[in-house]
Amino acid sequence: MSAPDGSGAPARSADPPLDPRGVRFAAGLTTVVLALVLVSGSGWLAAAQALVFAAGAFAGMRFAPYGVLYRLAVAPRLGRPAEREEAAPVRFSQTVGFVFAAVGAIGYFSGLTVLGIVAAAFALVAAFLNAAFGFCLGCEMYGLLARARAARA
Amino acid sequence: MSGTGLVVLIAALALATAVGLVLRARNGRVRTTTGAGSPDGWALTGSTPEGAEQVLLLQLSSPVCTPCRQTAGVLGELAAGEPGVRHVEIDVADRPDVARALSVMRTPTTIGFDRTGRELLRVSGVPRRAELDAALAPELRGRPA
Repeated sequence: MSAPDGSGAPARSADPPLDPRGVRFAAGLTTVVLALVLVSGSGWLAAAQALVFAAGAFAGMRFAPYGVLYRLAVAPRLGRPAEREEAAPVRFSQTVGFVFAAVGAIGYFSGLTVLGIVAAAFALVAAFLNAAFGFCLGCEMYGLLARARAARA
Repeated sequence: MSGTGLVVLIAALALATAVGLVLRARNGRVRTTTGAGSPDGWALTGSTPEGAEQVLLLQLSSPVCTPCRQTAGVLGELAAGEPGVRHVEIDVADRPDVARALSVMRTPTTIGFDRTGRELLRVSGVPRRAELDAALAPELRGRPA
């Protein structure tokens, strides 16, 4: 899957660089699912989205279900990506998404519907910003945290 | 079907659209700054202007950051074609003190300094090359000696 992109840069993590169009595609699907969560108020759907986030966050971006769907169904119809994107910040953003989706599911299941709605809405805003504008909130957080860690070390 | 959820959905999408439009308008835009009181980028990075160098473009990057790589490409090309420009890239993970001194929160951020170390401009995100060229032109054309 991960043909060398010719940049000669050494791989810095287990995750190979990502096709940015795949990241946008996954964010778009996430936006649709989270919109359905808000409209339906379904804890099960929020839990399913939490599992989708968990796969990318904990197993690696290779296993992120929407990314797999992109590689199988969409990427073959497109040309090679003009550039690739570092995977680590995107993976971190999946972790943040997991927390929000999981809290949302707990909210809906426990009857704390307001908690469910608020958590799902935050996750939706982040996913929509990525899908529509290519702006990754979780990646920005990743950068700030990496700096904070370096400053403390 | 949740009426509240639907209202929140519409509000969240409207908010996100507004935020996205603002971010997109700001991203890569060259803002001229009045450098009064801000630290000298040459001194911060331990460099001095050599020969024809009139402007330092100091790029603050983080280790894993795709737009930082793109920014380095844009600025590297600019400096290669323009002897009056020096491009220095620092990693904020190595030099958090520089980021703090210059009050930089996001990477990549590019700050332009004139030969005397006065701050000229700031860019958050991948700089728009045409805007940057236009902003630097008065400095590079050289002031009367």
